[in-house]
Amino acid sequence: MAKKTYDLLFKLLLIGDSGVGKTCILFRFSDDAFSTTFISTIGIDFKIKTVELRGKKIKLQIWDTAGQERFHTITTSYYRGAMGIMLVYDITNEKTFENIVKWLRNIDEHANEDVEKMILGNKSDMEDKRVVSTERGEAIAREHGIRFMETSAKANINIDRAFSELAEAILEKTHGKEPQDAPDRVTVDRRVERNSNRCC
Amino acid sequence: MSILRKRLNEFDDALNAEEIDLINLKRLCFHGIPDEGGLRPLCWKLLLNYLPSTRASWSETLTRKRTLYKTFIEDLIVTPGEANSDGERVDVTLHDHPLNLNPDSKWQTYFKDNEVLLQIDKDVRRLCPDISFFQQGTDYPRKEIVNASGQRRLHHRVQHTVLRSANVERKGLGVTKIAVSVRKATEDYAPLAEGGEAHWEVLERILFLYAKLNPGQGYVQGMNEIVGPIYHAFACDPDQTWREHAEADTFFCFTNLMSEIRDFFIKSLDEAEFGINSMMSKLTTQVKVNDSEVWMRLHQQELCPQYYSFRWLTLLLSQEFPLPDVMRIWDSLFADENRFSFLIHICCAMILLLRDQLLVGDFATNVKLLQNFPSVDIQIVLSKAAALAGKNLNSP
Ligand SMILES: Nc1nc2c(ncn2[C@@H]2O[C@H](COP(=O)(O)OP(=O)(O)OP(=O)(O)O)[C@@H](O)[C@H]2O)c(=O)[nH]1
Ligand SMILES: [Mg+2]
Repeated sequence: MAKKTYDLLFKLLLIGDSGVGKTCILFRFSDDAFSTTFISTIGIDFKIKTVELRGKKIKLQIWDTAGQERFHTITTSYYRGAMGIMLVYDITNEKTFENIVKWLRNIDEHANEDVEKMILGNKSDMEDKRVVSTERGEAIAREHGIRFMETSAKANINIDRAFSELAEAILEKTHGKEPQDAPDRVTVDRRVERNSNRCC
Repeated sequence: MSILRKRLNEFDDALNAEEIDLINLKRLCFHGIPDEGGLRPLCWKLLLNYLPSTRASWSETLTRKRTLYKTFIEDLIVTPGEANSDGERVDVTLHDHPLNLNPDSKWQTYFKDNEVLLQIDKDVRRLCPDISFFQQGTDYPRKEIVNASGQRRLHHRVQHTVLRSANVERKGLGVTKIAVSVRKATEDYAPLAEGGEAHWEVLERILFLYAKLNPGQGYVQGMNEIVGPIYHAFACDPDQTWREHAEADTFFCFTNLMSEIRDFFIKSLDEAEFGINSMMSKLTTQVKVNDSEVWMRLHQQELCPQYYSFRWLTLLLSQEFPLPDVMRIWDSLFADENRFSFLIHICCAMILLLRDQLLVGDFATNVKLLQNFPSVDIQIVLSKAAALAGKNLNSP
């Protein structure tokens, strides 16, 4: 096995309606670029990015899912192993916001109970086309006790911050549970992988 | 005589026969259809059972189908309350209106359709972004659409949906303020002005009509990737008379192709005999039989076929390779008399070609590798696939 170049591995998942900008958010985060020309995600996509938090190298394994209903059986099988989930809606599209509740229910049904969640209201650069106010975003997050942020993949607003806050929250949790963290420990990794795969 | 010349002659002979021998044609197409002379669009029309094998009946078939398509447009792309063709306006307020909650209301259907349309709209604007073809104008816009002052432009309808549905839903709350801004389209995929139409707008209409006519299935993301290459082939036909009818011809060929692969797109059929899960397990089995070491590696890493082959199979590989390669792959797929068993062979070949890398890569590296298939000479992939299928592939 190759030598580990990180201390911890976190598995994250991006969910939300089609077209809210999940792929753009991930692309902005992993490649620091924006392109208006993404093909729609079919099934599930995958990116890796290593970040440093509190002196630890954390490898983020991020799964980008397809938004449309048809793909739910494929995508919900990934919920189980996720340690963090970003729920994305589009501030210029009412429907995608209303569906957040539906996505939360999906998480309840399919994800680990202690999964860290965060709601993102994306496309905040399009102020003139906004139909979902920041207050409504905050309210729904408060109601469910979840973190919330408005982001723009296009203007690069809050993207890095969103991922590091989510990672931070997971870090806190794993710390609490397992006080000693040897650098090449793989427990987190293992647990995640074993739980997640019902498919082979 | 050059090899290409010889192949072109073979195709000409096969296609010019009064009664086309489909078995022979499939055999030829399996090795790739030459890019020359509009052969591909013609062969695809035959392989997808749109054109009958009897040449003499082509013109009748085409006329019938194209007329039928025209009536689909007339019947299915209407806005309630739209001015009649004779210029008289129907008084909708008497019978039907946007706030009518009756499920039979034309307006209710209209709003439901718009949800489907919104999804289609997002996807056709995201199709093949690496080439500019779909953003360009077609030489053959539908006159009844483009000269209707925007009324029948499909994307025109969804610009308003956000506003309209919010409007309807909130009426009980006494909301009086209505945003009047009209959404601007993504710059690159801007719709063309009155009288003109971009290729993606044509695809939007084809997909919308398909969804309307197949309500059990509707529109599923990924269908755009299936219709795209067919339309591209037809709309680039060197023969103007074929090109002119690319839209209608694509619609029927797409419909026929979908009837063969529709199970991939229906969630409730995932477990069915020809559903996507069975395709994925066939692939896994084939990898196991042909290279147990690679199979073991992926198995131990718990790298499930869903992570990569769900998309490969559902989209007939259209997102994995550049368009010209996709077209070449589809020549073989459409010519496969054993519908889509060759698809599994290609997917298997793709994995086997990566064996050395897969055997040393860790989980993440391998997922990435499979999800972003490295650029290769497509002929190598196809030759390997043919070998797996016990066939021989001639070089082009
Ligand atoms: N203005 C603006 N547009 C954005 C932003 N993020 C994404 N978009 C646009 O929204 C469209 C959809 O973005 P995607 O990232 O492909 O959406 P998705 O959520 O991955 O959609 P699916 O893959 O279908 O589930 C693209 O055309 C982007 O250009 C943003 O922050 N601001
Ligand atoms: Mg996406």
